[in-house]
Amino acid sequence: MWTYVARKLLYNIPVYLGIILFLMLALRVNDPAYAFLGKNAKPEDLLAIRAQLGLDQPFFMQYLEVLSFDFSIESWANKGLKVSDMLRASIVPSLSITLPALFLTSIISVSIAIISAYFRGRGVDRSLMVLAVVGMSVSFLVYIIFGQYWGAYLLTREGGIDAFAIGGFEPGLTHWRYYCLLPVLISVIVSMGYDTRFYRSVMVEESSRDYITTAVAKGAGKRKVMFVHMLKNAMIPIITRIMTTLPFLIMGSLLLEVYFNIPGMGRVLYKAIQEQDFPVIQSFVVIFAAFFILSNILTDVLYALVDPRVRLS
Amino acid sequence: MNLPPSSPRALAARCALALVAALAGLLGSCGGDAGAAQQTGKTFVYPIRSAGPGSLDPVRGSTTYDNQAVSLVYETLLQYKYLKRPLELEPLLCEAMPEVSEDGRVYTFRLKRGVLFHDDPCFEGGKGREMTAEDIVYSWKRLADKRIGTKNWWLVENTIAGFDAWREEQNAEGHEFDYAAPCEGLVVLDRYSLQVTLTEPVTRFLYVLAMFQLSVVPREAAELYDTGFSRHPVGTGPFTMREEDWLTSRSLDFHRSPVYRDERYPDEWMPEDEEHGRHLAAGQRLPIVDHVRVECFVQDQPMWLMFRTGKLDYAQIPAENYVDAIRKRTKTLKKSYRDEGITYHPVPLLDFIFRGFNMDDPVVGGYTEDRKKLRQAISLAIDLKEFNDTFYNSQNVVYDGPIPPKLAGHPPGGRSDKAYRGPQLERARKLLTEAGYPGGEGMPTIPYYTSLAANSSEQAEMMQRQLGQIGLKMQPILLEFPQLIQAIDKKKAMMFSFAWGSDYPDGENNLALFYGPNESPGSNHFNYKNEDFDRLYEQIRSMPPSPERDAIYTEMLEMLLEDVPYVGSMARTRNYLGTPWLKNFKPTEDFWNWPKYLDVDEALRP
Repeated sequence: MWTYVARKLLYNIPVYLGIILFLMLALRVNDPAYAFLGKNAKPEDLLAIRAQLGLDQPFFMQYLEVLSFDFSIESWANKGLKVSDMLRASIVPSLSITLPALFLTSIISVSIAIISAYFRGRGVDRSLMVLAVVGMSVSFLVYIIFGQYWGAYLLTREGGIDAFAIGGFEPGLTHWRYYCLLPVLISVIVSMGYDTRFYRSVMVEESSRDYITTAVAKGAGKRKVMFVHMLKNAMIPIITRIMTTLPFLIMGSLLLEVYFNIPGMGRVLYKAIQEQDFPVIQSFVVIFAAFFILSNILTDVLYALVDPRVRLS
Repeated sequence: MNLPPSSPRALAARCALALVAALAGLLGSCGGDAGAAQQTGKTFVYPIRSAGPGSLDPVRGSTTYDNQAVSLVYETLLQYKYLKRPLELEPLLCEAMPEVSEDGRVYTFRLKRGVLFHDDPCFEGGKGREMTAEDIVYSWKRLADKRIGTKNWWLVENTIAGFDAWREEQNAEGHEFDYAAPCEGLVVLDRYSLQVTLTEPVTRFLYVLAMFQLSVVPREAAELYDTGFSRHPVGTGPFTMREEDWLTSRSLDFHRSPVYRDERYPDEWMPEDEEHGRHLAAGQRLPIVDHVRVECFVQDQPMWLMFRTGKLDYAQIPAENYVDAIRKRTKTLKKSYRDEGITYHPVPLLDFIFRGFNMDDPVVGGYTEDRKKLRQAISLAIDLKEFNDTFYNSQNVVYDGPIPPKLAGHPPGGRSDKAYRGPQLERARKLLTEAGYPGGEGMPTIPYYTSLAANSSEQAEMMQRQLGQIGLKMQPILLEFPQLIQAIDKKKAMMFSFAWGSDYPDGENNLALFYGPNESPGSNHFNYKNEDFDRLYEQIRSMPPSPERDAIYTEMLEMLLEDVPYVGSMARTRNYLGTPWLKNFKPTEDFWNWPKYLDVDEALRP
């Protein structure tokens, strides 16, 4: 198993180096110093700011610098604030939304998918799928705008119940319900449509496999077939779906963070792009790429754990 | 001593007591004794429509959001009178307005005594020391320090005698920057007096002194915290802020400075201020509230909803909520809002929104009659009113010339008979024919550079249609703002959309945009070069406000209207709403230190 993990790690190192090379080139197509300084830029200011981030160095030196993972560099737009501090401050708010949302979405969607597959072709299945399609057809932004308006604003203004915050964030479990629950629920509702349909099709596909017919022939009950035989074998696509979501958890949900004023990583990156804050953009890109690669490796490892055939191959 | 109630002595004693009580009451209402102001327990909460400031170090700041935060903690030598319109300067850290020599070059400033920096560990014993003239010189010299990477040197460039040379010398390679090195134009006369000698008389100098980038900072803090000084402000202002009170992209909390000197609410106001009861606070000690909380919003919806639930004390009306709150026809607040006690404050900005031409361009540029007629024809084809009605809820002010409303030099009623203001399609077609392009024939497609803003694509389409009416073709090129600036700076943009917000309330600031030596990459993005205009500009730069200067402004304006280096102009109006519990509210975006004057009636807050 460890050989398998080591091999996966080794394979992915050149991939990561290539991604970083590509991203660094992409970020330098337009001069970052010029973009940041804007209309009053003077040649001397441009030189100074290029020197500050080593942009005046040969590209290979810049490449090595980026790969040193030194995030103690200072943000251009937020003087006195290190990129590492910005990362540290924004990761908790992001995860406060995305982790519970992923957990709830996965549990609820898999459960609905199982129910749907159980009643395949019947009224319950059709109703659930119609609801899923309706849910998918409405834009995320609409859910956010209406969710915020009805769930936070009207409830407070007309109902006198200040149950959910219109915006803001305070760390700590005691504040979680007030600041995070509404965005989490919106996120769950939005994702459920896509996930339910996907998981249902996985379940339906599994239900027509030979081993299911064998289990039924041997006299296994429908519930046992569903939960013991089918669910275990459907884990590969479920793991794939969940694992591909992982890197995005770290980056937060931009729309939710922007609309609910949650100072997460998505919002920090959005602000950095708006302000042309090159050190922050470059650092986030490097981190995101690393998480993406790591989650791919982790996915492969989990495949190997749940399916011995992967290990053997 | 008991006295019969009706005796004259008793009457006199009662009158004396009543007088003492009245005086005591008056003093009480004015905020108490000359020592530390009493805590009021009041909090003022307001929104910033962005992720917030980037730096609280005055010399590093540049945006309006930096200005809003810096102005709470720091102070400048001069400030604008809160209630007076048009804007007028008054002393803030000075005892009086500076004494100016006869030749207009030498300014002598006498500083207020007893102005204390906030208590901070950077000072001996953690107690803020008194501000002196040395601090002013040190703070201004920081603008010259290239190690700080300041964007604000342009404010004092070519202004103070010897300062430019001093800057070059101090920043020279191998030379250690020495703040103590003398500079010819900056002389400390004594602990509380400072003399500034200018290279030539420059009227704008006084306005610059009220800009937040020239705020006074203590050397101890700037040196101890270095780049961290951006997030650890130590000033002389009415509020203090601890580093941990700034939650980036989220909120900033400011608290009343316990060492703030005895400053009072102004006793000069405009007649309209009486309608709003702003005059009632005259003489009250500043700041009035104890705590200012700034909430940052990158999206308008949460800001608006929080305002509507009473969690913010004022808000600007977002464009999409304008018709909810304002009657479009009468431009007044809707009854439902008035019934809630909400107040409406339209604030015209010192804006110059225009469509510029690159005067160096071989097609639309140049100063020959045919080139001029081509630009005049384009100007006559464009209907700014249609833009205003469609994209700005008819809230913008459309005017002729580059000088925004409320400033000297702005034409009466915003109109000049010399202007080529559209739509005048027949006249435009005639001029286009005279320019050598009858019905637009032979004229290449005009590339029109504009930024990727909210509705710029739609605006470009409207312009395309309007120009099409006289047979001209236009191709919009939508760019991110930095790329747009780059294209303009490199003189690549034949025609472009841009805007200028005045740095200070003097038309000279806008006329400088057409001064030849300022051509791209300077602020003269039009690359307009007219010797007569330049000569007049050099003349007005040193003239104090006067009818003579206004006449020259008009002369310069007419030159621009005839040459048409741009099509314009418009100035935006920002719409502010205040809650019923917010008192003394007179919003402006020309300066930002006004939260110190605001009061909050906590009993009315929901």
